Amino acid sequence: MYRDISVKLVDVSKSIGTRVLFTGINLVVNAGQCLVITGPNGSGKSTLLKIIAGLNQPTTGAIQIISNNKQFDAEERRACLGLISPEIILYADLTGRENILFFTRLRKIRCNEHQIEGYCQKVGLAIDKDQLVRTYSTGMRQRLKLALMLAMQPLLWLLDEPSSNLDADGKRLIAQMISNGLEQNAAIIIATNEPWEAEHADYKIELA
Amino acid sequence: MKLILLLWIMGVIYAVFYIVPPAEGLGELVRIAFFHIPVAWVSVLAFLLSAGWSVQYLRTRDIQYDWKSSAAASLGLLFCLLATISGAVFAKLTWGAYWNWDPRQTSIFILLLIYGAYLVLRSSIQEEKERARISAVYALLSFLTVPFLVFIIPRFYFSLHPEPVINSAGKLEMDTIMIYVLLAAVGACTALFWQCFNYMVLNKQKSA
Amino acid sequence: MPTIRLNLLNCIWAIMMKDGLCEFRTRYAVSALFMFALISLASISMSIGAASLPADLTAALLWVLLFFCAMAGLSRVFVQEEESGTIIALQLYGSGQAVLFGKLLFNIIMLLALTMLIIPLFILFLNVDIYHWSIFIVVLILGDIGIAAASTITAAMVAKTQGKNALFTVLTFPILLPQFLSSISATAKILMNVKPDISDILFMAAYNVVLMIASSIVFDYLWYD
Repeated sequence: MYRDISVKLVDVSKSIGTRVLFTGINLVVNAGQCLVITGPNGSGKSTLLKIIAGLNQPTTGAIQIISNNKQFDAEERRACLGLISPEIILYADLTGRENILFFTRLRKIRCNEHQIEGYCQKVGLAIDKDQLVRTYSTGMRQRLKLALMLAMQPLLWLLDEPSSNLDADGKRLIAQMISNGLEQNAAIIIATNEPWEAEHADYKIELA
Repeated sequence: MKLILLLWIMGVIYAVFYIVPPAEGLGELVRIAFFHIPVAWVSVLAFLLSAGWSVQYLRTRDIQYDWKSSAAASLGLLFCLLATISGAVFAKLTWGAYWNWDPRQTSIFILLLIYGAYLVLRSSIQEEKERARISAVYALLSFLTVPFLVFIIPRFYFSLHPEPVINSAGKLEMDTIMIYVLLAAVGACTALFWQCFNYMVLNKQKSA
Repeated sequence: MPTIRLNLLNCIWAIMMKDGLCEFRTRYAVSALFMFALISLASISMSIGAASLPADLTAALLWVLLFFCAMAGLSRVFVQEEESGTIIALQLYGSGQAVLFGKLLFNIIMLLALTMLIIPLFILFLNVDIYHWSIFIVVLILGDIGIAAASTITAAMVAKTQGKNALFTVLTFPILLPQFLSSISATAKILMNVKPDISDILFMAAYNVVLMIASSIVFDYLWYD
């Protein structure tokens, strides 16, 4: 489908009240490229990702997601991206499998039991996928978000500190997912302070 | 401007007490009508304006429209209270009871409820843009019920209220003097509303 | 790529089933609603004793009961999402219209189920005779849809006020009022063995349709920033 997706930030700035988070961000991320955003706590990394995801409005400037020289509208934009963030919370009263099934149905992606089984296997949740998310540890919840990302196969990945709460094995998994994603021509934006995650970067920006 | 308004209001008050003849059947009580009708008119006008500015806000996202909408609603609540009280007093003196769920009493009461709900909603949301957005939506939704109420209320409650100024036959059943005084009173009341309204909006602009 | 475009109905259905499943697992709203209904009904019945009520009063009691039961539980569809934080994922991956109608459908089903439980008890406790059952059922369904439609859109607003639940009744009542008055009058007629006019029924249906269309138009302003 839209394999030539590119994300364009035009003069984006954000201030909350009188506090200025960032101003005048201009950049382009193309399919198959990875952008890493670094910066200390409170510098606005997560906010910038939420603005790109459309969950938050920039104070000035605009986000354009372009494919085949055509700009996506808000609906198409939401349909092409996937977000992993501590602020995304999955349903505690559904099992891991049901969460994946629910969100893929919302995104109009047909996903059969066999595929879900495969995604859960990949992130190491094969045994626990039929338990309620309520009983999961924080690390397992993070892994479930990774499985959801695999199931959705978005064109634009927004990862906000993807390896938080993960063990060494989980970190390897993320590194592998990112390089696989780039091979499949996804555009990836990572907000992180972990040096090893920044290794994938084609570009880096640092927020102050 | 303020002086003219003041003189005008004084003139209307003088006319109401010294020029208007006592009406047939209502006697001296008719003088309340010169207060009641204008404030009732303004409370409906303020409601329309508030809903109108809500639409404008949702279309343009200009916070100025939200201030206008909120100022109109606060003043509308005040005028609506005055109309309710003066109406109840008039009802007590002519029909013997302050309140009997006459269609017009019911309508003005519902208007009071809507104004009240709108203002409580505003006071319960802290973030300015969110407050503007949500209260605008509520103003619009409550405006929608008006045509239904106009249709349904007269079917449920029997009316003792005097015929509106222009009755169904389209004929004016009033003294010419009374009509002129009434029009002057309506004009004065509307001007007073507008003056207060502008003052409130200006205050808001200064503090912003 | 395994994407197959399924239609909006599928999303609405997914959201409704998700709410249903979560509700089935916790049973919070259902039991709260039912206990609330039972207690209010019992308190009415106890306080009037063996005295029989006039038909119009009985009709008013029924709808006041249904209204306050709805106010006790129906805001949960949005307030719960907001409180547990799941609303962000829903905003990101679900479309506004699907969310609105999914939640609306869930509320309608909850309220209809509650009505089915209340009506036998109501007849039992208050010793009511129902004439014209078929019309009575139509009035109940239309009235329930009206309550659900009004409270779903106001629930979305209440969720943004950080769980100030007392607001819910205040916001919903003025919007619901036309439907409320006509449900009471239609029910009173039925209890008095008079067939309500077809125009009464049409009015209620028209109100529901207009309210749903209006909700659908304004909901996007509530859902997206």
